[in-house]
Amino acid sequence: MAVTIEQPAALPGAEAAGAPLLELHGIAKRWPGTPEPVLAGVDLTVRAGETVAITGRNGAGKTTLLRIAAGLLLADGGSVRLDGLDPERDRTAFHARVGFLSAGNSGLYGRLKVEQHLDFWARLALIPRARRRDACERARARFALDELCGKRVDRLSMGQRQRVRLALAFLHDPDVALLDEPRTSLDDEGAELVAAAVAELTARGGAAVVCAPRSEDAGIPFDRRHLVQGGAMVPAL
Amino acid sequence: MSRALAYAGAAGGVFRRDLALFLSYRMRFVTTVFATVVTLTLFYYVSRLVHSDRIGSPDDYYAFVVVGVVVFSLLTSTLSMPIATLRAELLAGTFERMVLSPFGAVRSIFSLLLFPLAISFATATVSLVYAAAVFGMHLRWPEVLLGIPVGMLGALAFAPFGLLMTAAVVLFKQTNAGSTFVITGVTLLAGVYFPVTLLPGWIRWASDVQPFTPGVDLLRNLVVGTPLPDPAWLDVTKLVGFPLVLMPLALLALRGAVRRGRRRGTIIEY
Repeated sequence: MAVTIEQPAALPGAEAAGAPLLELHGIAKRWPGTPEPVLAGVDLTVRAGETVAITGRNGAGKTTLLRIAAGLLLADGGSVRLDGLDPERDRTAFHARVGFLSAGNSGLYGRLKVEQHLDFWARLALIPRARRRDACERARARFALDELCGKRVDRLSMGQRQRVRLALAFLHDPDVALLDEPRTSLDDEGAELVAAAVAELTARGGAAVVCAPRSEDAGIPFDRRHLVQGGAMVPAL
Repeated sequence: MSRALAYAGAAGGVFRRDLALFLSYRMRFVTTVFATVVTLTLFYYVSRLVHSDRIGSPDDYYAFVVVGVVVFSLLTSTLSMPIATLRAELLAGTFERMVLSPFGAVRSIFSLLLFPLAISFATATVSLVYAAAVFGMHLRWPEVLLGIPVGMLGALAFAPFGLLMTAAVVLFKQTNAGSTFVITGVTLLAGVYFPVTLLPGWIRWASDVQPFTPGVDLLRNLVVGTPLPDPAWLDVTKLVGFPLVLMPLALLALRGAVRRGRRRGTIIEY
């Protein structure tokens, strides 16, 4: 189980573009006290170089699925594998390779500055000291945060905060980015930045999964779209 | 080695973040010091009223209570502050990011103890210097320096209780009443403000089955020369023994609480 995060320009498996990277099999989840499962045997395979959109009406289970894929929640049944890594057995290595953006605008410390956020989460991502500054600078450049450095997060606009949140999701150069409604509060420029970040990720052999109620809300070009409906995943046109 | 360095860097990151948040409130340090100074001044004048065969002169009682206040600060820092910080993490939605970080939820929560401990050590230093400089409290020199490792040992002995409280926060989201109960109980049973020999016999046993009493006794002996009720080796053994037994259990409980939260979905609730 590797702890030190390698950040190659291209992923080891990138030469095998199209190889399965993130695999969800038979994912089932029922909330305590509810009769119907929110997810009932969902399968999803995301391949290297792919961007997959997951859509569905509010409360369909998109966010739950994404949280299970990220290893934040445990499924009642089924399995999650990232390039063969199990989120429980290989927790550290698994999380070193996943970037997660939750829906909404939470997950920031209002009284910390932008650069303090980057440094803090780079440390918790176990990025080696020698590479930490580079990682933070890349994240700043990727989401045009230089102009925001020196400012406390509680003094930023919602769209600027979303750029900080996105920068944190991509900070450790993950192999798979799981993005829940990434367009929230973003202006056109911000939407272009997130699309570029996803394009960069897929170009080096990574993959992205984007959740949004409607495909046009994803704000990112995607290769496939699935619909979460009645606890199941169905391909969508 | 690289793994240990990465973990140390992450723990240091939690410390730096807590320091930055603390300093972002300009008056926080000033009010912390002010509260300590007022407490010590108040107890100085209360001590003038104390004439007891059991504790000695007013100066003896003042020295006794100053060390009690120092230990109480250490206790609060390990029991209350991490809980409050974790609650804030849950409300801000940053805790789920910690769960998803390679450093992980358990190590992150453990690291929440670092800054409160540093603050309590700083407060302890201010307290002792103030009491000595303003009220002429006699400090044993150089034995007082041994108070640092003993204080750290005490903090380590108190830490499992703090971790158990944070596990309860992860599970139930609210444990302020629990921490208040424990702190109040320890204040009563560990002899923070008065000697435990004043307690009735039927409850005095409780002073011997927790790490707070030996911590207070040892610190008092080293810092101001209060005689030890038990041999020093016995107190040190207790201080070492408690974390050895309780720390793995506390970490297990914390890991279990996080896992249960992930299973039931409550990890994202607040």
